[in-house]
Amino acid sequence: MAGAVPEYGLPKDLIAASAVPLLLAILAEGDSYGYAIIKRIRDASAGKIAWSEGMLYPALHRLADQGHVKPCWRQAENGRRRKYYRITEAGSEELARRRTEWAMVNETIELLGGNDNGV
Amino acid sequence: MEFDLEAEIRKWRDHIRGTGRVGSADLEELEAHLRDGIDELSGCGLDGEEAFLISVRRLGNVTAMGEEFAKVTSENLWRQMVLIPSSPADQRRHARELGIVVILGLLAGVLGKIPATLGYGSMTGGELVYVKNLTFFALVGVGAYLAWKRSLTLRFILAVAGIFVAAAILVNLYPSYGPNNTALLLGVHLPIAFWLLLGLVYGGKGWQRSEIRMDFVRFTGEAFIYAVLIGCGGMVLVGATSVLFDLAGVDASGFIENYLVVFGGLAIPIVAVYLVERKKTVIENIAPVLARVFTPLFLLLIISVLIAVSVSGGVRDSREILISLDLLLAVVLGLVLYTMSAREEEGPMKPSDWLTFGLLLTALILDAVSLSAIIFRLSHYGLSPNRVAALGENVALLVNLLGLAVGYALFVFRKIGYRRIIAAQMRYLPVYFVWTLFVALAFPPLFGFR
Repeated sequence: MAGAVPEYGLPKDLIAASAVPLLLAILAEGDSYGYAIIKRIRDASAGKIAWSEGMLYPALHRLADQGHVKPCWRQAENGRRRKYYRITEAGSEELARRRTEWAMVNETIELLGGNDNGV
Repeated sequence: MEFDLEAEIRKWRDHIRGTGRVGSADLEELEAHLRDGIDELSGCGLDGEEAFLISVRRLGNVTAMGEEFAKVTSENLWRQMVLIPSSPADQRRHARELGIVVILGLLAGVLGKIPATLGYGSMTGGELVYVKNLTFFALVGVGAYLAWKRSLTLRFILAVAGIFVAAAILVNLYPSYGPNNTALLLGVHLPIAFWLLLGLVYGGKGWQRSEIRMDFVRFTGEAFIYAVLIGCGGMVLVGATSVLFDLAGVDASGFIENYLVVFGGLAIPIVAVYLVERKKTVIENIAPVLARVFTPLFLLLIISVLIAVSVSGGVRDSREILISLDLLLAVVLGLVLYTMSAREEEGPMKPSDWLTFGLLLTALILDAVSLSAIIFRLSHYGLSPNRVAALGENVALLVNLLGLAVGYALFVFRKIGYRRIIAAQMRYLPVYFVWTLFVALAFPPLFGFR
């Protein structure tokens, strides 16, 4: 598993916990497939969040099982078949719920004492 | 040596598939991912081999993670956070699946009780109505379950269901006269034909692809082994029921015969299929292991029989010789098929391939020697339905094994890769469907329903 999480990256537990909302948020931007999703998260987080393939696909398949995303095969311009994922209505609702939860956690951390960053 | 990217990718695919933890659709997804990675790295100026190695290294994590996930006892953090089926939606789906299996299992038993309520005897009595209909009792539920699991389109489901219904109506309209040969042939061949038909449901839209057919072959082997094991357990249960109620002074034979055997026996296929479906990504396959154990033993057996025949000076003329030869060829085909199912699609000849090749050649020699000894006398016995059916099976198996032997010979001389043998074998499978269906449905009218 060396290299799956870079030194400067988030700790494993936080990556795992944030995987579902981040995945849903990426798919809310538009349909996408595994390789592009990993690139998207790397770009969006300026390289701070590096997902490994080993966590991405199990997480995607689980979301599909739960009905939050819907997979479908599509032919790319170069003739390659790719499995795209599209967010479903249930997925959008789940995303909204997760957003509120994260905001709540964030707010609570900010409110609590010991915050010497002055934010 | 030139770096062959395609061959390396195929080897990688075989390796991942061999771990048994990635389904065929997932594998295709991973392969697209691998190729995307190679394309991008090649675009950065790396050569094919470097790009391949780095991309594989990245994807290597997938199987490593898979292994970690497969350990039930693992305290792995990912597992707890991402994978454990703790979400209510997951649990609901599993519960619904189990519910469907239980209902379909009971449905099989209820179907099996229909003849008795119409005034026929019990199932264990061996009446013809059961011989004809057992296929439908046992396999309708399996088909329905697989159709649900694969989320097939309504049109696809209706087409397969239509074939089931049409065949069920047809066989029940057939009369049967003594000695009921064609009806008994129907009882043997219809289950095979309809199991192969279920391959369509199993494969869904991809049923024509060779990998999917191979998956169905693997699935068949596992389901068969599960069914045999469950059947053995069932017999212990029946024995225990009988003995224990006897102890209590109650005669349970009526209950056993009319309910336990009917409901239990007919539920076996669906339960076996369900277990294989649920376990498929974690379990090590058993059928290829059995094939590996028995291939050398059967090779020894056939060689010694060939020696015995040459010493005794010929094959003993017997009415059952065709059937024994068919059984032998079927076993050899099974051994080759399940050796094939676990073998990598790439790579050079291995010692185990020589064993398989030897098995094919000796089986063909034995079949040729025996057939040539009796072929002219076959007509003396008359063309009974049993003999025509057995002869047809012999031809179908012989052509198949000949094709395999030719494939192996070309493979030995490096004319073709192993995957060509697999592809050809998978294309041949429908022949068995056509012939078994023909014997089951066309023989009765052809031979006057006798």
